[in-house]
Amino acid sequence: MSILRADNITMRFGGLVAVSKFDMTLNEGEIVGLIGPNGAGKTTAFNMITGVYKPTEGSVFFQDDKRDIDITQSRPDEITKLGVARTFQNIRLFKELSVLDNVLIANHLRLKSDVFSAMLTLPNYRKEEKAMYEKSIHLLEEVGLKELMYEKSTSLPYGKQRRLEIARALATNPKVLLLDEPAAGMNPKESLELMDFIADIRERFKLTIFMIEHHMQVVMGICERIFVLDHGITIAQGTPSEIQNNEKVIEAYLGVD
Amino acid sequence: MKKERILLNIGAILGFIILLFIFNKTFDSYQMKILNLCGIYIVLGLSMNLINGFTGLFSLGHAGFMAVGAYTAGLLTMSPAMKEMNFFMKPIIPFLAKVEWPFLPALLMAGVVTAFVGFLIGSPVLKLKDDYLAIATLGFSEIIRVVFVNIQSVTNGALGLKGLPTHTNIWWSWGTAMITIVFMVFLMKSSYGRAFKAIREDEIAAEAMGISLFKHKVMSFTMGAFFAGVGGALLGNLLGTIDPNMFRFVLTFNILLIVVLGGIGSITGTTISAVIVTVAMEVLRVLDETINLGFVQIKGIPGMRMVIFSLLLMIVILFYQQGLLGTNEFSWDWFSKIKGFKKTPKKEVKQ
Ligand SMILES: Nc1ncnc2c1ncn2[C@@H]1O[C@H](COP(=O)(O)OP(=O)(O)OP(=O)(O)O)[C@@H](O)[C@H]1O
Ligand SMILES: [Mg+2]
Repeated sequence: MSILRADNITMRFGGLVAVSKFDMTLNEGEIVGLIGPNGAGKTTAFNMITGVYKPTEGSVFFQDDKRDIDITQSRPDEITKLGVARTFQNIRLFKELSVLDNVLIANHLRLKSDVFSAMLTLPNYRKEEKAMYEKSIHLLEEVGLKELMYEKSTSLPYGKQRRLEIARALATNPKVLLLDEPAAGMNPKESLELMDFIADIRERFKLTIFMIEHHMQVVMGICERIFVLDHGITIAQGTPSEIQNNEKVIEAYLGVD
Repeated sequence: MKKERILLNIGAILGFIILLFIFNKTFDSYQMKILNLCGIYIVLGLSMNLINGFTGLFSLGHAGFMAVGAYTAGLLTMSPAMKEMNFFMKPIIPFLAKVEWPFLPALLMAGVVTAFVGFLIGSPVLKLKDDYLAIATLGFSEIIRVVFVNIQSVTNGALGLKGLPTHTNIWWSWGTAMITIVFMVFLMKSSYGRAFKAIREDEIAAEAMGISLFKHKVMSFTMGAFFAGVGGALLGNLLGTIDPNMFRFVLTFNILLIVVLGGIGSITGTTISAVIVTVAMEVLRVLDETINLGFVQIKGIPGMRMVIFSLLLMIVILFYQQGLLGTNEFSWDWFSKIKGFKKTPKKEVKQ
């Protein structure tokens, strides 16, 4: 069953067509990759799906139990509330705040207590706060950051910051997780660990994952399907082996890798 | 451990109340006025810190908020006879002519009216960012002032209001200051406070985490406006006289100075710096006046202390952006660290 659908979305910046008629369906539980050379429009596609940009043309739909929700004009926070969370290519943590606070903040969207019961720590809020706290600590434990939870988030080494960003996204209770180059800047060993980690969280959190990744080997190893963008155009899609042997893809990557 | 903290807090508050009693007995009226101003500037500083420091919204509308609060409380508390005397140019609208409220409801109403104004202004301008927001809020503040000059039948125009009941005393000003401190501490400790900080740190990430930027910005702005209104009301009923020209940009600037010096995003820092700045403003008043050293007279330059404060602000911004405390907050652990009689507890979560 499909969970997220981009229907021929196009993004123009002035004269530049960053993404042209991107058409994609994500099925529940899949890991799908999005690859392409620098400037191909991958991040732009993410931004359109998550509401950061409104597509110039086309629509985006989110499906849950038989409902087909048009999220094309929705704000990012509304989309996250529906269950689509993301990470960023250039890590965007809440820099001055602790590791734990970073994750706690991502629980805020599900908070039911109003601001006054929160301030007065009335029983209903106290219960929610406790649950948020426990959930966050549990999440940090799962991603191996519990020991560092009182550290300032930017004091973590790079690889751990990426993990924290994923943990933070998970704290929003997503159904779909979008990862923008999660292995960027990592050495081969670290990125292999990260891939295991991603496969693992998919199982445990019953996620559908859509990820951008530069490292071909990494994507090939983990993704079930792959989309290839070049200059905004989807030049290929298919299984890793199909992609590996696709002439257009080889051509597009020739100058790059 | 936690109980111990609560006891310490209650003890500190009681100690402070006793101190206020002593001040109340020993200070002369000039010193009392400064003490009152300190309390009021804590309220004002904290309200601006909520908007600018914790939520990261560059707002410069404080003088406008204070004007709304001061006029609301002033008109509600002033006696009908006094109103008749004030409004000799143009009579006051009948709706306000007869009211004479006690101070507490007037103070609360000042906050509520200002919060409402903040909400109305906030809804359109909070869509703007950074310098655009600053310009828009600054403009709003000026508009309020000009409107107040022109709605004579409500505000008595440029003549201002004279003979307001001087209800504000140290119990009102410091009582409000304490309530504001407690409010801010509890707010910033809550999930909403964390959401505000998230917006300050990174709007795009905050929104991606499902935080509605607009809702939380308006919330912070409205709450900040409430306390700015209350602060303005306390000020009006302290001085006994208000006119629209009191609420110019310098007033906003003074509060901004407090927030920046204290550390943007620190309740403790703002509180301490509000006291320091208020006292320094008075102490440095000598610079504006002629100093007579006996053998030589130094001509004072009016406005000199503002020059000093502006320089101070520039130095802080250029070399010491953290201000006094950065985003750190007071905690009793400060003492245990100094004395070393307690094992330093596990690293505290940075606020
Ligand atoms: N906000 C914007 N305004 C104008 N042009 C933009 C904007 N965002 C992206 N672009 C342009 O759109 C094109 C696609 O950029 P995008 O960031 O989506 O590429 P990408 O595939 O993610 O590349 P990379 O691998 O370097 O991250 C680029 O030419 C970029 O300069
Ligand atoms: Mg990119």
